[in-house]
This record gives sequence, C-alpha cells and structure tokens, in this order.
Amino acid sequence: MPQTTRAYFLMLLLTSTWGFSTDITTQASESSGSFEIDVQPILTARGCNAGACHGKARGQNGFQLSLLGFDSDFDHAALTKHARGRRLFPADPEQSLLLLKASGRLPHGGGIRLPHDGPDYSLLKDWIANGAPRSIPDEPQLTNITVKPHQTTMKPSEQLPLSVTAFYSDGTSRNVAARSSFQSNEAAIVGVDPKGTMKAGTLPGEATIMVRYMSQIATCSVAIPVAEDVPAQLYADLPRNNVVDDLVWDKLQSLGLTPSEGIDDSKFMRRAYVDIIGRLPNPTEVREFLTDDHSQKRYTLVDSLLERPEYADHWANKWVDLLRPNPYRVGIKAVLNYDNWIRDSFRKNKPYDQFVRELLTAQGSTFRNGAVTLFRDRRSPEELTTLVSQLFLGVRLECARCHHHPFEKWGQTDFYSFAAYFSRVGRKGTGLSPPISGGEEIVMLAESGAVYHPISGDTMQPKPLFGTAAEVSADNDPRQALADWITEKKNPLFVQVMANRIWADLMGRGLVEPVDDLRATNPPSNAALLKTLGDHFRDENFNIKELIRLIATSYVYSLSSIANDNNVLDTLNYSRHYRRRLRAETLLDAVCDITAVPESFAGMPAGSRASQIWTHRTKSLFLDTFGRPDPNKDPPCERMEESTVTQALHLMNADGLNAKIISDDGWAVELANSNLSSDQIVEELYLAIYSRFPDSSERTLATDFFAQAGDKRKSFVEDLMWALINTPEFFLVD
Amino acid sequence: MQADKSMLTFPRRDCFRRGFGGLLAGVPAAFQLSSARSADTEQRAAKACIFIWLDGGPSHYETFDPKPDAPPEVRGQFEAIETCLPGVHFSQHLRRLATIADKFSVVRSIRHNQGNHGAGNHYMMTGAPPRIPVGCGAFVSFHPSIGSVVAHERETTEPLPRYFSMPSMSRSGGPNFLGAKYAPFVVADDPNNARFHVRDIALPEFVNTERFVSRQKIRSGVDRLPRLNNLAAGDPATTGDAFYEKSYELVTSVEAQKAFDVHAEPTEIRDRYGRNSFGQRALLARRLVEANVPFVTLYEGGWDHHRNIFPALNDRLPSFDNTIATLLEDLETRGLLETTMLIVLGEFGRTPKINTRAGRDHWSNAMSVLFAGGKSPSGQIIGATDRQGYAAVERVLSPENFVATIYQKLGIDPAKIFHTPQGRPTHLVSDPTPIRELMG
Repeated sequence: MPQTTRAYFLMLLLTSTWGFSTDITTQASESSGSFEIDVQPILTARGCNAGACHGKARGQNGFQLSLLGFDSDFDHAALTKHARGRRLFPADPEQSLLLLKASGRLPHGGGIRLPHDGPDYSLLKDWIANGAPRSIPDEPQLTNITVKPHQTTMKPSEQLPLSVTAFYSDGTSRNVAARSSFQSNEAAIVGVDPKGTMKAGTLPGEATIMVRYMSQIATCSVAIPVAEDVPAQLYADLPRNNVVDDLVWDKLQSLGLTPSEGIDDSKFMRRAYVDIIGRLPNPTEVREFLTDDHSQKRYTLVDSLLERPEYADHWANKWVDLLRPNPYRVGIKAVLNYDNWIRDSFRKNKPYDQFVRELLTAQGSTFRNGAVTLFRDRRSPEELTTLVSQLFLGVRLECARCHHHPFEKWGQTDFYSFAAYFSRVGRKGTGLSPPISGGEEIVMLAESGAVYHPISGDTMQPKPLFGTAAEVSADNDPRQALADWITEKKNPLFVQVMANRIWADLMGRGLVEPVDDLRATNPPSNAALLKTLGDHFRDENFNIKELIRLIATSYVYSLSSIANDNNVLDTLNYSRHYRRRLRAETLLDAVCDITAVPESFAGMPAGSRASQIWTHRTKSLFLDTFGRPDPNKDPPCERMEESTVTQALHLMNADGLNAKIISDDGWAVELANSNLSSDQIVEELYLAIYSRFPDSSERTLATDFFAQAGDKRKSFVEDLMWALINTPEFFLVD
Repeated sequence: MQADKSMLTFPRRDCFRRGFGGLLAGVPAAFQLSSARSADTEQRAAKACIFIWLDGGPSHYETFDPKPDAPPEVRGQFEAIETCLPGVHFSQHLRRLATIADKFSVVRSIRHNQGNHGAGNHYMMTGAPPRIPVGCGAFVSFHPSIGSVVAHERETTEPLPRYFSMPSMSRSGGPNFLGAKYAPFVVADDPNNARFHVRDIALPEFVNTERFVSRQKIRSGVDRLPRLNNLAAGDPATTGDAFYEKSYELVTSVEAQKAFDVHAEPTEIRDRYGRNSFGQRALLARRLVEANVPFVTLYEGGWDHHRNIFPALNDRLPSFDNTIATLLEDLETRGLLETTMLIVLGEFGRTPKINTRAGRDHWSNAMSVLFAGGKSPSGQIIGATDRQGYAAVERVLSPENFVATIYQKLGIDPAKIFHTPQGRPTHLVSDPTPIRELMG
C-alpha cells in the first residue's frame, strides 16, 4: 500500500510535527537574534505553521503563517503587523499574544507549544524585546543542509542517529537536528523518531529518510539486507535475457533476496495476453501455444501480441483515464474526437514524443483535431500546468500553485513561469455550456496574453522547470518551445515517467509509486533500472512497443508470484511477480468471451468491447463495480485497483453475469448440449477461464461432480463456469 | 507456500444452522429485527441518518417557508396553513407534517452561493464548495460525501454495507479520495415492485438453496491457486478470500436479508408509507437503519420546477408529506428516532418571483431543511428569511454548519483532517461549527 504509506508520511509531516513538543535541547546560546535563522525554525519545529494549523490557507483563528515557513516576509508581517500588531508587545514581551497563547497562559486551540521555562520561549522573548527585527545586520542566508549518514546499511533492529548540519552564506554552520523534521517513506522498514534516530525494523528492505529544515531538504537512504548470506554464485547462475534481468538481480543481490522460480508456459501466456492486449487467450490459442515446442515461442508470442488490434484499445484505455474529460462538460463530439485521436495514436504506435508534441501544440477545431480537446477541457494556464507537469514529467506542481511545495524545490515562481507557456492559448467559437457543451471551439495562438505571479503581480516569462529551453519570440507559439523542451532527448523525467508507467502496467508495481510522482524524496526502488528503461525508451525513438517488448521478454517478467522463504516480504524489488486483479474492462470482456454472450453498450456499435468504450459515462454496473474511474472526477483519474466486497458480490450474484452464464445462446448451454464428454467439457472450461489444462486430480474431481449431477448436465456446466469465474485464478493475473 | 485448502472446506458455516434455508423459504412476516442491533456502548447522539435528497431544489415557498403576506407573484398559488406550533406556518400541502411540527425542526436560514445543480449538490452533500466552476448538469466530486465519510468512520464487521443510496448514487454522493470501498451500495430496484430483490445481495432467481450449496461446493473444489499467507506479502488472492467470505455471510445472513424484505412488512404499514417507489424506499430505509446501517440516502429527482410549479406540486406534495410524516412517526414509535436523524433537503431553494412559465428557478440564497431525530431539539424553526423569502437573514448558516452538525451528532469530529492519497491534508469540514440549536 504505497499510497497509504505516503499519506501517513505526509500526515506526520504536516500535522504531527507537534511531536516535537518536548526535549529540544537547542543551542539557544547560539542565537543571533535573526528572524529567519532563529525564530522561524522554532515556529516550524513546534508545528505552528503546519498545514493543519496556522499554515493552512485561511490560517487558524485569523492568524496565518506561510506553510512550513517558506515565506519569511509574510510570516514576519503576520507577527508584527497583522491584527493591528497586537501579537507582539516589545515593551513587555511576555505580554505578547504570541507568547501568552503558545505557552498556554491564554487559551490556545493548539495547546502548549512553548513551555514558559524553555529555551525557545526565552529566545522568542529576547527577539521581541529587541524590537522583533526582520533581519539583523549582515544576516547570513541558509544555503543548504546536509545529513549524515547520507547512505548506509543497517541490521534489523539496529538504531542509528542522524546528524543534520545547516550551512550559511557567511561560511558558518550549525547542528540543526533538534529543529529538523524527519520522515521515513517506509516506516515499517526503517522508522525515525522526532529527534532523528533511525530505527530499523525486523524486515529486510530499503527506506529513505527525508530530513527537512526550513526550506531545505536532504535524504538518507538505508538498506537492510536479508540477514542470511546468499552465495554470489546463485546470482551469477540466474538466467539473463536482457539488461532488465542484470539490474534486478544486482538489486536483489545487494539486499540478499533470492528470486522465485520461473513460471510455466500457460501462466506466461495468460500474463502476456492480459498485460499486452487486455484479454484472455481462447482455448484454441492456449492449445496452440502449449503444444508448440519451439524454443523461442515466448518471444514470438510477445511479438505477435504487440501486432494484435486489441493492443491499441488496451493501451489507449490507460491513457483515456488520464486525459479524457466528461462529455457532459466538454461536449460529446469533442470527447469522441479526443478518444479517437488517442486510440489512433496507439494504433499507429506513434512515437511517444510525437504524441506529446501533437497534444501540447494542438490547434484548430475540436471538431477536426481531437487533441485540441485538451485545451477545451483545461482552460486556464494553471490547470494546464498542473496536468502537463504531472503527466509528462512526473512532477506534481499543484502544491506550488498556492504555496511552496512542502517536499520539493518548487515554488510559486516555478509554477507560474511554467504556466506562462500557456499564456497565449487563444480560443474562439463556443465555449463550455454544460450539460451539453455541444459547440465547436477553435484553439489558436492568441495575439497576446499573460500569466501573473499571484503575490508580486509580476508578468511571468515562460521558463522551464530546469535546464534551458528555446526563447519564445512574439511570433511563435510558446507551447512549441515547451513541447520541445519536454520531449528533448536529454530530459530524463520525460522518458522515465513513461517507462515507469509501462513497467507498472506489466510488473504490478511502479519503480516509483505513485507512478507520476518523481522526486528526490520519493526515490525509485531501483534507480539504475529506471534510468536504463528511460534511456532505452529514448534510444529506441520513444517506441512504446519496444519498451513493452524489452520488459515482457526479460526473465524477471516470467518469475512466479509464489514466494520462497526468502522473498515473501519483498513487495518492491520484483524478486517475485506481484499479482493484480484484472482491470475492469479486461474482466468484463473476459466474462463476455467466456460466456459467448456479448455486452451491449449505449452509443457503441454492436459487438463493441468494454475496452473500446469512448466515455466512462457509458452505463455499466459491472465496470463501475470493478473500479473504472468515476466520470465525475477530473482526469487524471484514480482508477480503483483494489478489491472490494461489492466486487465479490457482483461476481457471485449479479443478474447480468448470471444471465450470461445460463443464456440459451451462451457457451455453457452449447457445451452442455454438445456431444463432448464430461472430461472434454471440463478441459474446455479450464482452458477458457484459467488458460491452462486441468491436472489429473482436477479432471477427476470435476468428472465426479458431473456424475453426481446426473441429468442436470446443463446446470452443472453452468455452475462449474460460475465457480471458476468466482475464484482468484480467474480474476487475478497471476 | 501451497495453502492448505482442502477440498470442500468452504462454505465453512452450516447454512441451515444460520437459518439460510429459512431465508429462501420465506421468513415469517412478523420477524422482528430488534435483535440485530448490537449494543453500542459509545456515547453519541445519533447512530444513523436517513438523508432524503430532493434533487433539483424544492421550493421553500411551497414547503416549509410560505410567505402569505408577499405579493401574489411571490406568494404563489398555495395557502399557508397553521401548524401545531403557535405562529408557525407551512405551505398547504404539508398537512400531516404541520400536525406533527413539534416532532422536528426546520432550518430556514441555510444559504450558499452555488446556484446550479452540480455545484449545489456538491456543496450540500459534502460540505465543501466545488473547487472549480461547474455546470448545471454536472455530477462532480472534489470531496467525500457525508455518506462515504460515515462509511469510512463507522466501519464494522457487520455484513451489511455501511452506506446505501437508492435508487441511484446521488450526484456528489461518492467517496472521492476515500476509495471505492466507501462508495454507496446502490439499490436500484424498486421495492414497490412485487418482484423486488436487491442486486448482488439476493441470489439470482434461478439459484435455489440446493444449487447455491452445490455452487459453493464446486467452487471450493476448483479453487486451488496457492495463497501467500503472510499478510505483509500483499497478496490480492488472500484479501479476495476475506471479501468472498464477507459476501457469503451477507448472502446467507438472515438479518441482512431480512432488512431488505419490505414485503414482509404488514400491509397496513406498507400502505401508510404510500404504495409508490418513494414511500416503499422510505420504508426500506427504516428497515436498513433497524439493521444497523448508519447512512441511507434516498435520492428523489424531479424537484426542478422551472415551469408549472403549482400543478406539479399539487400532484407531488401530498404523497411526499404523507411518506415523510409516516417515516417520522414510525421511527418514533419504534424508538429509533432517538438515535436516527431524518433530514430532508435539496441543493437550494427557488426564486421568489414566479417566472413567465409559471415556475420558479434556482435560488441558493434561501432554502428550508427538515431536521429531526438523534436527540435534536424539535419543534423549532431555526433562522428566518426576509419578509418575502428572498434570502436568509436571521441566523444565517452555511452548508459547512449543516454538514458539521451531522458529523458532530454521529460522533465524527468535523474538524478532523483527512489525507488524500497524494498526502494533502484536507479538513473534513472547513468550518466545523455545528448548528447549536440542533445539538441539544
């Protein structure tokens, strides 16, 4: 549950920095009387400016500080000027509201933050008595922090303190561990207490500890190898199909993990079908593949799947989750065109850089160019910035729209400079008019347009997040320069975020999770592998199929999901395959294929498959139950990957599914009415539903059931089909 | 790692001991559900909420806030009638509610700034205004709905889902970042229909006990995928087992199945609720609450009277009045009102001036909300609109206050902070101040 971990991690960071309330053996004597160097760190360490308290957008009880103290001018004004200056009282500092409240001598919703007799209290008191200066003469600036160790290995249950040093522009430095905050991204592996002592758990694995002091962030990565010694020869002897295997084995070796066994052909086949084309193989295909004795048949299978027509719909289906808006809002024709454009891109295997360039620079009519719908849907430079940076760079800039990103270097200036690339997106025609929004809209380069910084009011010049981009002249669409910068070959984020998505789709878990959140404080579980995948993708001219091929033909892809004694707890390093539930569309299409009773979808031609539906608004209780994105939420949408009780109930009892099973036109009835023996029927059902032959005990079991069923052959075939569909071997890709 | 799944061990429970046979054979109509209520030692005012949503925005003039002294183009065609509370008037069709006005309170002073359906729905259903402008037909979700939050905070091991919505999910009634687990369980089928059964929870018609048992037997025979039994391994097959077991329990639980069986109610009770979909759904809602479900939404469309409002309400209000009054009385008779809130509202009120099509348009400056139960002081009219009903002017309250009241009464701290999967802290309700008059 990486997301849960992360939520927990942030929760601690943003709300429970209250955990610092005791035992700050601070170096009060070092105080220089500076607001930035001495006062603000106290406010941050004591949680005053946390997201749940005065740091939230509306402040708390009328007193607002910048989130985590990123804006010193604002905070100084909040203390000294806002509320008519009543918060500080230099003539009698102890009567300042700030101290009265924080020490609990006046009622304070946040409780006692600064004990009356503590060093922080006296530091603040002295600062107020001194006239609460914004800065002191020759005030040095905080330039960076370092954490020691920066990288280390620990043994299970070992403890290790971190030391944090802040460096200033005048060449001085200080130990600031006591006023830093610490968080682990995998607290079960390595936890960290508020004082910065790391505590290894009992499990092997890796964790990154983030240290934040004021606006500066540093990380410490820790590995806890498996205690037992695994001989190097074991790794040397492992099969290596390509570079993926080398890098995964390296990682496993560094952690002392040993990989699971390889899988048999039937499991490989089912996995490849589901992952590459989003459908199960039919019995004929299974028989052919399993009886083929060609030694390279897995490679051939992957190649042939990549050329199947279902490939495009399956992979486009992932991208429509990310891009395709609600037609009620944007209009049916615009959305349909957009959907078509996305599918067509995958059908043509359009190089990914070209896909992104066409999208980001789209112009013309929403009735003629589907890609233009992006700009009909996202109407402000700010919205476009959030979407584009997240999807194509894996950078979550959204935070920086309103405040400095709490775990990243991005601030509002970065956000609005990026947004300026969209300052001249012009529109004419009919805008949005929900719930129909049927009009045509033209997107073109506007004569003028500007994006302003929300605080300073300055007109922002287009500027990339890092590196350099082409200058934008008055005649050129700034989006062109942006698209060039994003897709240029030396931009590592562009290829890595896509490589990470594809890896996650095939391997059950991203190297980085969430897949579009790449940052130093959220490092990949195998950095060398992510880099290599990204480089490979770039060197192969952004060919998506080629990257899929590389991963699917690695030996690692064919590892079993069954753990050995050594790797059962590994959920990050791919020492075994990670099972997943089939995605909603794949599952429904599989049910239709197995029962031979197709679904009919409103607004789609007869015979359409779930993976081809052009909008999530198309009614389907089945797809809703299995977690397709809520069409009412804005893309990029969270698809519900998890299982629920309602899903189990649906497979068990849903009228629609049961009607398919017992349909007179369905496959169960056809099998029952056929001349096939009971053993042959069992075999057919296993091939269609589990993509494998039944073993002898399964044959015996099922034919015994058949015998017991007597004259109820038809209902038994139906029930056997129902039973197989209701087991995890069907609804998971194993 | 092969899990020891010996054949035919599942179903582990003896269906017949659990009364499963009785269920399918039809249970005696007089079966009482009170035994299903588990002892709840926590001290909170309310355990459950029946949330009746009149989608489109019911007119406050023609319901709880008539303005008999206003000019005719504002007053409309209906008369104001006296209630059992001195000096308090309702509009003419709320006859039964008027006689029991001492059993509930009406809030006349909630106002907000979201005058279209999509946004108004979102604001009143979640307590959070939509983050970006949304259109009228929109179904949007930026924040978890009250029902989803209740499902999240009141998770139990009981088989029934925690949050129901009938006959569909309300516009902004989803879980948002809380995740699919907390989406409402939708009962789309009509309990007024003689063949009513609840999707997925009731067995398909052609599956009788014998066949169900046989299916389970076959399934446990063929289910051989090895499980990773270490919980930390995160094996979805293992979690799937837990969900399958819970589903099985729900399907075979007499109490759970009983809750849906509105047809088991005495004819007289069914008649009193009204033999229409809305009436029978209200009855079903009561049964669900009796079976310990904490949140039930009845989502009733068709209150968007832009034209010909008076004939439409002449048709609709009498049965509406009857159903709500019956539900209220029935909850009280059964001792459920103490612990069950009954709330009736829409996304906003309607325009003062009757328009050229003899209708009223959207108006979020004023609306009326019926609030009863869960130890809320009753017989109160909270706040007031101005003389002509243009806007709430006394004791002006926000959707935040309204939603915070519900949470507070259910023992959920409205000031609580949730974290989105991205880690962003989000206040459950940005202004957690409840409506003190309703707190008791």
